[in-house]
Amino acid sequence: MSETLIKVENISKKFCLSTKHTMLYGTTDIIKGFVGARQDTEQLRKGEFWAINDISFELKRGETLGLIGANGSGKSTLLKLLNGIFMPDKGRIEINGRLGALIEVGAGFHPMLTGRENIYINGSILGFKKKEIDQKLDAIIDFSELHEFIDTPVRHYSSGMHVRLGFAIAAQMKPDVLLIDEVLAVGDVGFRAKCINAINEISKSAAVIFVSHQMQHISRICSDVCVMQKGHSKYIGDKISHGIELYFSKFERQEKIISGSGKATINNISLEDHKGKETKQINYLDSLTINLLINVESEIKRPVIYIGFLTQESRLIAHCCSEYNNVTIHNTGETMNVLVTFPEMNFNPGIYAVSIAIYNEEQTEILTHHFSVKELRISGVFVGVAPIQLNGKWTTGKQQNISISTNKNIIKNGES
Amino acid sequence: MDSKVIYTPKGPAYETRFRYLLTTRLMLRELITGRGLIWRLFIRDFTAKYRQSALGIAWALIMPLVTIVIFVGMRQSGILNIKATDIPYPLYALIGLTIWSLFSVGLAAGANSLINAGSMIVKINFPKIALVFSATGQGIVELLIRTALVALVFVYYQTTPDWLGTLLALLCLIPLYLMTVGLGFFFSLLGGVLRDIGNMLNMLLMGGLLITPILYPINGSSLLADLNNWNPFNYLINTPRDLVLRGHTDHLVEFGASTVLSLIIFYIGWRFFYLAQTKIAERI
Repeated sequence: MSETLIKVENISKKFCLSTKHTMLYGTTDIIKGFVGARQDTEQLRKGEFWAINDISFELKRGETLGLIGANGSGKSTLLKLLNGIFMPDKGRIEINGRLGALIEVGAGFHPMLTGRENIYINGSILGFKKKEIDQKLDAIIDFSELHEFIDTPVRHYSSGMHVRLGFAIAAQMKPDVLLIDEVLAVGDVGFRAKCINAINEISKSAAVIFVSHQMQHISRICSDVCVMQKGHSKYIGDKISHGIELYFSKFERQEKIISGSGKATINNISLEDHKGKETKQINYLDSLTINLLINVESEIKRPVIYIGFLTQESRLIAHCCSEYNNVTIHNTGETMNVLVTFPEMNFNPGIYAVSIAIYNEEQTEILTHHFSVKELRISGVFVGVAPIQLNGKWTTGKQQNISISTNKNIIKNGES
Repeated sequence: MDSKVIYTPKGPAYETRFRYLLTTRLMLRELITGRGLIWRLFIRDFTAKYRQSALGIAWALIMPLVTIVIFVGMRQSGILNIKATDIPYPLYALIGLTIWSLFSVGLAAGANSLINAGSMIVKINFPKIALVFSATGQGIVELLIRTALVALVFVYYQTTPDWLGTLLALLCLIPLYLMTVGLGFFFSLLGGVLRDIGNMLNMLLMGGLLITPILYPINGSSLLADLNNWNPFNYLINTPRDLVLRGHTDHLVEFGASTVLSLIIFYIGWRFFYLAQTKIAERI
């Protein structure tokens, strides 16, 4: 069960930048190919660039490779090369077994035809016989949950429904090699979870390559990760957390935004470790101190300070509010020094941004808001799925004196 | 492991010991494994085309009728000087136009098949010959629908075709269809890279209809008549028509030569397409 299904050896692929060159090179290449003339594919001609540059890897049955990288880094091109849509200009690709690909869901759907008809068309495009599709039809419709729309023309479908149908077809085809581009983003939360579970299930008996910008998906289902940048692979291996960190480190922290009525100013913000030294990076569960120098107009007697933490995708995941912490800040109008310490930062290792907001006492007016003003990196030996990784106190033991158990066990205990 | 494929800069490579006629064998294998897809795509295009038009298939009958009426009108008013034929002129012209439609409709559809499937080609890997084969099938549909019209006109003039000749004529249409597919392969590929081809093809088809003896016989010793002695379509179209109307043909040798030419064009076009299809996805 562990034979190599995908073998990629030093592949490169070049593309043209302009349509004019595309037409010229396209015509000459086709004619040269037909008459059998030797083609010098290894050199760049004018107006060409390497979209994929010298990538090698192997993938066995049961492994899942997560492909991450910024837009335009060559992820989709790599999938298309593996799928045989393009040929590499250098190197060699070997694929063993039946290949299923979801480069773009709904490509090949005909808008005038019904969902059911499109299942048959798409199935035969993927190389299945009518009999095989007949057998899988019910499972496909069940998975897509589109029972009442299956005989409606596909042009009336929403983009989410397209994804449902497309994914359902690919998932039921039981491929040996499955390629999935970032296609799940359109689906709703429930369906996305269903897809992730399905990919997880398929990956047990197949080699899967999965492109996603959702790091929680990557860390959840991938056994290996490949970080791509400008056609190169910057990292390829099984240290998922290292790969994800490398991916995030390529992005500039987003512009900070300062807004508010201006009745307060923040003169300085610094992040400090447990020794009081300014830092940008702490370890998981280390202490963090935020040191603020603020000025609030004297008419505001008791300002309220909020400290927020955002993920790389600008999702607010944690707040600390002085009022909720029962802290009253007495303002006289002079410059104040405010120190807030978090003794145990239990964030999932990754990069976060800090936002500071100062409100009036009634919290009806934002005096100043520094959005995404500081970058904080949490490093750790793992990368989890959820943004908060609680540090629990665990006890395990035999069943008689268990402190952690499932409901089933408790009922059993009650009965006995 | 049932299938193993290797992609190299030269295209897909297959591991085989027996290299004799390898490309041709691979071409045939692709056709055989892709036959289900060809049929499915054909049905898809057919249903999609007629599903949302009120007149549906009737459109295929209206077009040739209008053309014939125009030519009959021009002939009667003396604008066009078409010599009297021993069979009713509308019948003669309609049969010619019906046979021509196998070629013209099939080629036009085949030439556009790659461009029309552009988004599919760059996202899914499938045998692209299925697109050309299924599209040229529209020529066959056109031929069949118009044959029904021809039958009605036979009834109207209360004559009958030569039955044995008609059967033979059906066989004699095969070279014309192979020519259609062969040229369809060329034009679809070139059209995928250079978009000018589509416009050019319409002009060529219009010109071909006018200079080939389809709507009128060309006899005597004019330049056009001399040219048509070398025009394969002259024989590919007039031989089946002669067989239907008269039960025999005077141009058996020329028809044979045209058939050989069709086979060559079909094979070269197919091979050209097969070898170029891996390069087309990134250019379309």
